[in-house]
Amino acid sequence: MKEASQKRTIRSMTLPTLLATASVIAMGLWPAGTSKAQVSGTATGAVASNYLTPTEAKFSPDGAKLYVVCEDDDSVLVVDARTQRTLGRVKVGHKPRGLAVSPDGKSLYVANEWSDTVSVVDAAALRVRQTLPTGWGPVGLTTDKPGKTLYVANSIGNDISVLDLATGTELKRLVSLRSPHYVELSRDGRQVFVTNLLPHLVSPDESPVSEFVIIDTQKQTVAERILIPGVLELRHIAEAPAAQGGYLLVPLMRPKNLNPLIQVANGWILTHGMAIVRLAKPGGAARSEVTQILLDDMDYYYAGADGAAFTPDGRYALVTHADAAMVSVIDTGLLRKRLQSVSTGELPNRLDSAREFVVRRLQTESNPTDVEVSPDGRTAVVVNRLDDSLTVLSIPGFQVRSRIDLGGPKEVSVLRHGQQLFHDAKFCFQGQFACATCHPDDHIDGVAWNLETPQLGRDRVANRTLRGIAETAPYKWNGHNPDLETQCGPRIAKFLFHSEGFNAKQLADLVSFIKSIPLPPNRHLAEDRQLTPAQERGRNIFFQKACDTCHPPATHYTARISSDVGTAAKYDTSGLFDIPQLDRIYEKPPYLHNGEAQSLEEIWTIYNPTDKHGVTSDMTKEQLNDLIEFLKSL
Amino acid sequence: MKSGQRNHWLGCLVGLLCIAPTALAQTPALYTKWENFTTANGMPDAKVFCVAIDGDRVWAGTENGLVLIENSKVVKVLGTADGLVNRVVTGIAIDKKTGDLWLATFGGVSRYSGGTFENFTSLRTGLANDIVYAVAIQDDILWVATTAGINKLNLRTGEWSIVSERTAPMHEPWSYGIAVGEGKVYFAVWGGGVLEYDIAGDYWKPYTDPDGEMELVLFKNQGLIHIIVSNISYNHDTKMFWASTYFGMSGYDGHNWYNYLSMDSGLASDFINATQTRGDDVWACTDKGLSYLNFKTNTWVTYRPNQKTGHGEIVITGPDKKVTTRETPTTLAHNYILNMTFQGDDIWVATAAGLSHGMHESHKEGKTNEQARNGR
Repeated sequence: MKEASQKRTIRSMTLPTLLATASVIAMGLWPAGTSKAQVSGTATGAVASNYLTPTEAKFSPDGAKLYVVCEDDDSVLVVDARTQRTLGRVKVGHKPRGLAVSPDGKSLYVANEWSDTVSVVDAAALRVRQTLPTGWGPVGLTTDKPGKTLYVANSIGNDISVLDLATGTELKRLVSLRSPHYVELSRDGRQVFVTNLLPHLVSPDESPVSEFVIIDTQKQTVAERILIPGVLELRHIAEAPAAQGGYLLVPLMRPKNLNPLIQVANGWILTHGMAIVRLAKPGGAARSEVTQILLDDMDYYYAGADGAAFTPDGRYALVTHADAAMVSVIDTGLLRKRLQSVSTGELPNRLDSAREFVVRRLQTESNPTDVEVSPDGRTAVVVNRLDDSLTVLSIPGFQVRSRIDLGGPKEVSVLRHGQQLFHDAKFCFQGQFACATCHPDDHIDGVAWNLETPQLGRDRVANRTLRGIAETAPYKWNGHNPDLETQCGPRIAKFLFHSEGFNAKQLADLVSFIKSIPLPPNRHLAEDRQLTPAQERGRNIFFQKACDTCHPPATHYTARISSDVGTAAKYDTSGLFDIPQLDRIYEKPPYLHNGEAQSLEEIWTIYNPTDKHGVTSDMTKEQLNDLIEFLKSL
Repeated sequence: MKSGQRNHWLGCLVGLLCIAPTALAQTPALYTKWENFTTANGMPDAKVFCVAIDGDRVWAGTENGLVLIENSKVVKVLGTADGLVNRVVTGIAIDKKTGDLWLATFGGVSRYSGGTFENFTSLRTGLANDIVYAVAIQDDILWVATTAGINKLNLRTGEWSIVSERTAPMHEPWSYGIAVGEGKVYFAVWGGGVLEYDIAGDYWKPYTDPDGEMELVLFKNQGLIHIIVSNISYNHDTKMFWASTYFGMSGYDGHNWYNYLSMDSGLASDFINATQTRGDDVWACTDKGLSYLNFKTNTWVTYRPNQKTGHGEIVITGPDKKVTTRETPTTLAHNYILNMTFQGDDIWVATAAGLSHGMHESHKEGKTNEQARNGR
């Protein structure tokens, strides 16, 4: 089937697409500094390929076109929904992640995560009409119903920009904690919903709590923040038709991070499912109600629940599993029965639910991050992020009808292969998780894990980012892994995946990919790299206090050794911990080896009582504030 | 403190100086109908420190939590169990753009948004001290008045900075109140007078009492009446700031100072916890009642409960110093007033024994004024 679909797709590449692709490559227009550029230059034996990496798709209001945002290509592709041919392409900002279509279909809004902008695209002419500044790290976005206001989730700024589209000005920012991700307008236009990828900062002894934000579009203020316990990585949002109850479906992950991860072999450590959000109604419940239900089977898991969509009649819902290359088809009538038959308290931990309402599991290509149902309800399109393709499903038969090749390179490079492995949960026992499951966006999941020690609560460590770590060996908080090959090879196989792990070729490719993961731009550092007065003062303190002894600038602010700075907790085996690099430190809370410091301040105000982590007890609060401003500039 | 040292002729001079140029013998509308919210009808504590209005919603900060009043009922009481950082809520600022509430407490700052709290303490953030008396929003800046100085939080970047006696011309770091003006932000500093911050120029300017600690006015435009400033408000209509001190009240329009003492005005007491102002109206929250000044006419009205009768007492002092009084069946919950605010034509008053709602009765105004003039 795949071969046939590939042939179809090659034929489907239009001349303009081929010419455009060729000319862009010939002219060297791929933007410098992207992960692509770094990928081709970093990996040994890597093929210099310019993948598209489609992340999200939206139909035009009439369903005739499909717009696909491609994060590694800095572009949006237009696909004819009927012929499945690519009609055109428009370059936007750096690392576009989210896409919204205006209600009249005339404009596209593209969130450029690394440019901190939204590109306003003329949908007919396929040209950028305007570029609007946003907060830090824009990803998801939507217009309001009249198309006058744009809501943009700023993943790094932890807020939502509210933009007036008539003037192009930002009206306000609404707080969203933490790492706001996807934004969806309610069907009646009265509300905007926002998911957050990372959980609230809590004690490492507590389960994560994640926030779901509801914005009143009339007042343009936050009407409700729903705190969903025990979950993280809230992804897309789909709203059932009113006739089907009008509830929201939000894919998520339920980690049992307080349990020793050694128990992966027993199953049930990382489960994947969705939140069912019943919205508060006027005159009804004061606050919205949430039920969690799992999409895993008892003997196999479907990691990376991500995209979500309802069929127009609401009889079916589709959820993609980005790390399992799978789509689950949900019969919503059966789902309703399940919700009614088991208590809300029990459901989040029942692995026997999905068999009651998931009527089909469909294989996709690598890393399906989004699913969209056409307005006529006859097809669903799955975005295969690491395959540069779309999988077309027929409805209501729910069969894979075709694969649309979006025109990326045909060969799978070392880095792309490593990236696909990074997102492939099949290497884990029962498919419970992939590397990406706990490192969303190659970063952190924001919680502490009991990784290797079998005793409950012992040697708990915070998740660490994979961004920019190529030159920061050794790895692990205890510094026991000298290189990534050790970290990602036998260690992962033994302690995490509880499986045979990766073979030599796979391991080499995976490590190449991880080494290629770039650092994002620093939002706290001015474009001309000049420090602010506070940062300058903080820099002086940094060196006066000899912080550079353990955090030398030349090596990403890590001496690459372990040190005891007095942060060992009661149940830590050793007080020696790997000195972390400080690059983009502001993106990485919580801090310290077990994540008990919820802010940079707490490292010194609470967790440095004997001055072992630098002599800081003599510092004024002003000096500490300055030091932190400097650290944020790194 | 130094009342015995006052020279009477100086006091008279104060009175002359503080008469507004266009003083007319008009009596302002009076508040004769009050409803009170106390521990008897839902308030979690008697002492109410602050009150803020968000449309039809009234938020009050008490010594034991945050209170929401709607439709004349206490509908919500929020405390530390709900996530509030500390039970003592001393200040409330409503971000008009986002609708979020910022709360000053004796344990840090809380942001209340969408039904949940996010807390900012000196251990977790760049907050100078957890004893916080006031918060204010100026565009995307949160200003915080603490016992260890003034904090500035850039809500876009998350950058905290501290202004204290080490970095600004202030004698003391202990800050009590904040008022956002036009292009300027004003701070009430205990023992440090009024501190003015110029937003565009990014510089600070102090206003202190030129005669030291004396609560006297020696000559016109001598300056702030006293350096122990308990709070401050800004009048966007007249472009004046009004500072409350424990030794009188001062107004400043950028050129002239207007100073008031109880001995030669209708001010109920020189011990003033806060001022609020709009249009021609200046309100002084004192330890002996709520005083009102019509700045244009130099007419004073003081509201206070009569301790003997339990009824209300309204004392009107005309520009000619003629005093008339009247009694009302309802009155303020207590004569110790901590703060107040406006809701349309109504006023809400934070007292030591509850929150009081003064209801504007437009249909009775004519009669009320007539009655007041007749002293009935």
